[in-house]
Amino acid sequence: MAFKVRLEGVQKTFGRGTRAVLAVRDLSLEIGEREFFTFVGPSGCGKTTTLRMIAGLETPTAGRIWFGDTDVTALPPQQRDIAMVFQDIALFPYMTVRQNIGYPLRIAGLPKAQVEAKVEKVAATLGLTDKLTQKPGQLSGGQQQRVAIGRALIREPKVLLMDEPLSALDARLRVEMRTEILRLHREISSTIIYVTHDQVEAMTMSTRVAVMDQGRALQVAPPRELFARPADVTVATFIGTPAMNIIPATVVETASGLAIELLGRQTPVAPRHHSALQGLKRVDVGIRPQALRLIPAGPDRPAGRVFLREPLGLEDEMLVEVTDGTRVKVVATATEEFPEGAQVGLAFRPSDLYLFVAESKGTICCGID
Amino acid sequence: MRRCAPLALLLAVLVVVAFPFYWMLLSSFTPREVLFKPPYKLFRLDLSLANYRELLFATEFLTYLRNSLIAAAGAIVLNVIAATLAGYGLTRFAFPGKKGFAFGTLFSYMFPPILMVIPLYILFSALQMRNSYLGLILAHMAISLPLNIWLMWQYFQIVPVSLEEAAWTSGAGRLAALRQVCLPSARPGILSVAIFSFALSWNDFTFAFILQTDRKMFTLPVGLATFVEQTGVHWGMVMAAAVLVSVPTFLLVFFLQRYLLSGLRTAG
Repeated sequence: MAFKVRLEGVQKTFGRGTRAVLAVRDLSLEIGEREFFTFVGPSGCGKTTTLRMIAGLETPTAGRIWFGDTDVTALPPQQRDIAMVFQDIALFPYMTVRQNIGYPLRIAGLPKAQVEAKVEKVAATLGLTDKLTQKPGQLSGGQQQRVAIGRALIREPKVLLMDEPLSALDARLRVEMRTEILRLHREISSTIIYVTHDQVEAMTMSTRVAVMDQGRALQVAPPRELFARPADVTVATFIGTPAMNIIPATVVETASGLAIELLGRQTPVAPRHHSALQGLKRVDVGIRPQALRLIPAGPDRPAGRVFLREPLGLEDEMLVEVTDGTRVKVVATATEEFPEGAQVGLAFRPSDLYLFVAESKGTICCGID
Repeated sequence: MRRCAPLALLLAVLVVVAFPFYWMLLSSFTPREVLFKPPYKLFRLDLSLANYRELLFATEFLTYLRNSLIAAAGAIVLNVIAATLAGYGLTRFAFPGKKGFAFGTLFSYMFPPILMVIPLYILFSALQMRNSYLGLILAHMAISLPLNIWLMWQYFQIVPVSLEEAAWTSGAGRLAALRQVCLPSARPGILSVAIFSFALSWNDFTFAFILQTDRKMFTLPVGLATFVEQTGVHWGMVMAAAVLVSVPTFLLVFFLQRYLLSGLRTAG
């Protein structure tokens, strides 16, 4: 029933001549059957454009899009067996919930009774049974989005496209709907292609994620891999909250081999990474705020001063100013220890350090142990 | 007291505005013999339908009325179709010269009717379209269509494109999406177009006077003018005609003012 969605060197330019904007550049990837695939990235990174090209709402400037063995590049959305949920929900304001959900089937010319039965079924799945006679304007944001999802699901499309469907909702509802969408994905046989700027949504829901920036897919991988082995600095800082600290450091040669001089201390690099570090003097070191621990200040430890401490409940988010002026973010258990202004030492494990090439920002290694 | 002041002002304005209408109504129901005989009373009870009887049965009022209605209906239908499609096209498609078209539209709206009617007279004479409904309707559209296009253009800009895209991704073709999704949302704009087209056509004197030389093709404004010239001035009958002419306009504005206002708000 389902099939693979394949992008082949897809490119999209808006405008002409000197004012042309390259929205998506040379994107190639394959989305598997029944996958929950997410495009994530900052606004303007080309993720929505990519989704709209898959939907047929935009035509690629170059490249091909395949649904299974069919080249759909030039097909209009009506002929693609897709359904889409829009960022602004886009329910038809003059139709009732029943008419909205049933619209795709009415368009397809199904008999009235059959449409009705199907609408009832979808509405029941989404908890909308008692709202069927209302107009979208009478519903809450969450209910409206459920109607929009219902309208997309009713045709049982092979590919379900969702363009930031939760961004119009408030925080609590977003978490609720996230679970709901995940449940739907398990129940239906459609491939879901999802677009969001929220990395938490991307990480929690997807089987695979494409992190996009400036029209390129920086990395396409399952969520855990994105977190553990980011392809470059951009991915590393985009995935995870708060963002990973990036600290400039130097590679030094010691008696026992190579070491990273970081925060006033030398950390040895395991021999298996030596070849990757060959010829590099300066690197960027990434370390997640959760991987840094605060310890009492001591003579042989990287030391600093607690600059800012924000209690978040279970944990505190703090900014530590190291002696050389660098500020790093640390997430620590909430305690009374180390108040603002206190001198602290910073401890970390070599396995938690990510090394990036200083200029190209590409990843050298994840963990130097 | 503070509440009374605006009310008093409103009342004063109402009297000033409404009095002519009242006087028109009263005169139309006043028999010819009484109308100019002192004392002139503000209120009288000796009303009669004589003027109306004379108007309807002794003049060609009904012919004029039919002509006016046909012209107005034609102008409404053609304006709505053309302006809706143009507005949709202008908001949904990119094409070269769009800006020029926009300015051209507004520019052509600036021509006064009297400036266009002579060329139209020559043109329609050559095409043998004088004294035809189509000619008159087209002439009326020359004035009303530019503003109508402008209105629908503005109106379609506030109808979200995502509504149509939702329809397309639901399997609807472009025309189905336009009809089922776009037009219902643009309904207030369409009503504004209809009302404006009607008002312009219904009130037009210039085009009808010059293009329709055959008495059988006169519209109401032109026909009414002949009442003044022919028999001296039969004021009671002229007033009766004026009442009948203003009734449709009044009803239209009264029932549709909500849409009219919302339509103009968007365009402004």
